[in-house]
Amino acid sequence: MEINEDLKAARDVVQAILKSKKIIRMYPANNPIYIKTIEDCYARFHDYFDYREGLVLKIRQNEITWESEQVYANTEKEENLALFFFKDGLREITFTRGLSSEEMEDFLKIIAMDFEREVLDDDIVTLLWERDFQSIQYIADDALLADDDNYQDRAIEEIEGRSNDPDNILKAYQDAFSEQDVSQDTSIAPLSDADLKQLMQMIDQEGLGKTEKLVDFLFELPYLSETKAEFEDLTAFFMNAAEFVMQSGDLVIMNSMLSRLNVLIKEQHIDEEIRKYFRRVISYAGGNTIIKLLGEILDSGQEVDDKIVDEYVRYLDKSAITPFMNILGELENIHSRKIVIDALIFLGPKDIMTLAKGLNDSRWFVVRNIIYIFRKIADKRAVEFLLKTVRHSDIRVRKEVIRALGELGGGGVFQTLRECLEDPDAQIRSAALRALGTVASEAAKRIILDKIADKTFKDIDFEEKKEYFEVLSKWKDREVFAFLVDILKKKPFLFGSSKMDEIRACSAYSLGLLGNKEAIQILTKYKGESSKLVREFSFTAIKRLEHGQ
Amino acid sequence: MDSKQERELHKNAKELINQISVVLRTSQIHDANNVALASSISRLVTMINALVSQENILVLELRGEFFYINEYRIRYSLEYLLNFDFMVREFKKRELGNVTFKGQIRPDDIKAFIKAFIDASFSQEPYNTIQEKMANVRNIDVGILKKVVEDDSLDVRKMVKKTYFNAVSFTQGVINKIKSGEKVNIKKAKRVVESMVDQILEEEQMLLGMTAIKDYDEYTYHHSVNVSILSIALGQRLGMSRRMLTELGMVSLFHDIGKMDIPNEILNKPTHFTDNEWSVIRKHPLWGLKAILKLKRFDDLTIKSAIVAFEHHMNFDLSGYPKLKKGSKLDLLSRIVSLADQYDAMTSARVYSRIPLSPDKALSIMMERAGTQLDPLLFKFFTNMVGVYPIGTLVMLDTKELGLVCESNQLFPDRPRVMIIVNEAGIRTKGAVIDLTEKNERDEHVRSIKKTLDPNKYHINLAEYML
Repeated sequence: MEINEDLKAARDVVQAILKSKKIIRMYPANNPIYIKTIEDCYARFHDYFDYREGLVLKIRQNEITWESEQVYANTEKEENLALFFFKDGLREITFTRGLSSEEMEDFLKIIAMDFEREVLDDDIVTLLWERDFQSIQYIADDALLADDDNYQDRAIEEIEGRSNDPDNILKAYQDAFSEQDVSQDTSIAPLSDADLKQLMQMIDQEGLGKTEKLVDFLFELPYLSETKAEFEDLTAFFMNAAEFVMQSGDLVIMNSMLSRLNVLIKEQHIDEEIRKYFRRVISYAGGNTIIKLLGEILDSGQEVDDKIVDEYVRYLDKSAITPFMNILGELENIHSRKIVIDALIFLGPKDIMTLAKGLNDSRWFVVRNIIYIFRKIADKRAVEFLLKTVRHSDIRVRKEVIRALGELGGGGVFQTLRECLEDPDAQIRSAALRALGTVASEAAKRIILDKIADKTFKDIDFEEKKEYFEVLSKWKDREVFAFLVDILKKKPFLFGSSKMDEIRACSAYSLGLLGNKEAIQILTKYKGESSKLVREFSFTAIKRLEHGQ
Repeated sequence: MDSKQERELHKNAKELINQISVVLRTSQIHDANNVALASSISRLVTMINALVSQENILVLELRGEFFYINEYRIRYSLEYLLNFDFMVREFKKRELGNVTFKGQIRPDDIKAFIKAFIDASFSQEPYNTIQEKMANVRNIDVGILKKVVEDDSLDVRKMVKKTYFNAVSFTQGVINKIKSGEKVNIKKAKRVVESMVDQILEEEQMLLGMTAIKDYDEYTYHHSVNVSILSIALGQRLGMSRRMLTELGMVSLFHDIGKMDIPNEILNKPTHFTDNEWSVIRKHPLWGLKAILKLKRFDDLTIKSAIVAFEHHMNFDLSGYPKLKKGSKLDLLSRIVSLADQYDAMTSARVYSRIPLSPDKALSIMMERAGTQLDPLLFKFFTNMVGVYPIGTLVMLDTKELGLVCESNQLFPDRPRVMIIVNEAGIRTKGAVIDLTEKNERDEHVRSIKKTLDPNKYHINLAEYML
């Protein structure tokens, strides 16, 4: 192969590396573009190694050379491959024949990492070193590691300046003759198989339980701290620990930490000022940063024990409400959202006002979730916030809030529910009706009775009529019984008799649901009614009453 | 070869070396027709042929303290540690450097090799004996053990010195930065430690030699680096991976970081400390924990470093300081650092006791503490590492020569390499390094250690000889 062809092959490899570095950052490993780029890059290496054993690239600040020939040059600071290697001290990279595709890809992944990010504690040399490639070697300049370039020369000069006194050495020589002989038993402690076994266990366990241990130490610190500054530091350590623990997904340690903090707060001898520090930690543990991390864990698909999350929530204070609401709209997994909803059901009563802010969220499903939470909390104070949501643009939200109002009840809800009975949307009307049924008060009953008694009632759809009577049957009192019997007995006028029969049939249906057996005798009279609808509904109601269903 | 193949080869290679060792050991007990030996040989033949079939040839080579198979260095694994050591020792004893297997190996080939190997141990010229007896075995070649070229060692020494002083300079910079509230470059710290790990893996003795020089002005920084080097070296003996060694090197480098908060007038006090001063000094583990936790956000390394800084004076039996309300078993890394810390502190001049001990004396005191202050198992490994006569020990030989131990011998701990500083005529000399394993024509050792002396007692500056 001619030198020019070799040079071209080397240049092709460098260009392939450059391209791969960009592509790897942009695409996931299963993307066809990613896969093709890796294959192309490997093919470039393969072409080069067809005729050569090794590819040695020398790195300078703005250029990369191969056998003194420039194969890459760039004077810009951004996207400069030479500078990228150079700034971490890399001065030479050698790829040898035998380079596997896997090693090459690992190398490319390393150089594609975002080294500007704060969290990355490794530079490129460290990552290459840790990976310990078989077919990629490098030379790094360690001069940049010393803080003081002249330290070595100065230290050696100083120490060598104190040269040995010949007299002392000769005195040592003379004294040696009168010293005791060394023991003949100079064996080193032998290592047994049991020693090695024990050692292997120790090495295997290295790395376990470190966080717990550190947390244990942090709990020693209150007893070793005195000043305000020391407690400020300790608070920061606990907060960092909480963040690290949540990042690692270790909720068991988090719970243990929070439990111990709670115990400390309750301890008699702890000064109120110091308790404030511990409360700050608990608030932080339920703050945005930590809850966001929890959300990532919940949505990651990893198995999370609901009971452990539940325990964690129980240690938190009301400051956790907003962070939980923040992630509620972000979570993609239904089970994750259920966990967060449960958390808010527990935390919500600590601060209803804050929870109510969630009703202003722009996402309909978040608002619906918050309404659901209010339903579960069952605190009547929530009604004033919920009433504002009844006119929400999304029908799913409106249905949920009407349901909630029904469950919460109270005087304030009737006017709204009555209005909802007139809503153009049948689903809203139905929800309002059922909500009144849930309230189950006299006032609610009155609204329904008035509605049925209204002359326009006959014009509504049969199914809706039936729903009114079904709801009305929840009041199992004499008034309702008499009301229903009266309707049933009403003789229809010639005109509009079919609409009236619908009402009478619903009345029969409702008497059946009411469960009062006195109605059997009355209903029996209508078994032979000319209206088929009344006849059938009376028959069904009698059967229901006879069988006690 | 892809990584999977590499891992496979590496695993097979380790097992191969182990199996050769098993066969050689068994053959020293049983005769050639023994069933156990025949079974071991049969297994070995299968393993060799499998490897030969993959690459057409199988070259087992001893370089320094490590075996290579087809140019791949085979790392020690704990489970085979004793057999690896046995193999290194037996190969060295016979000056056997490499064995090449090619073609189809038969049990008879292996039997011939075993016979040659055993016969060589009784020979004056062991390698020649093996070579002679293997001349007719077509499928197995042997090669002589290569000596380290002296010229190379000069460059290596230069690199070792650079690594050592870079580390000290970096440590000094870190302390100054923390004191002035500046940010510490963790990436740089890792690079410094990685260099030390590399040196320990390749040139352990030279880097350990640097730790034996105790007369530097800036004790604190040198002590941190020395503890880091001794810890990494011990970690390597324990079979830790490169990544673990880096972590160990990092945590040990920062173990004494809390001392930067001790007032200089106490730290540099020329006389004994008062009780109050001791109580200040005893706070440095707590201050160290805090200093590390303040350095950056928590991660695994921060946590490990903080634990070691807090625990390194707590003692194996928790009798040390700080005393805790809830005591728990000392961390492995803390136990390693405690050993290294005590050893370096005891053999240094500017520690609280102010009386530096000779390395062998320090070891004997540490031996008394094994099981109480120090982990007894780790101490066993530590003594195996530093040897009976650690580097820097002043020794009188039976030839009436006075010398300094400059390199310990892992296989023959009582026979280190010694730099002669006074010859048999009682005249000062410098530079000649002799190996105490050297034998004369009657198979007797040429020199042996007769007595040890305390180099501090005579103010002997090791730097003059060892730098």
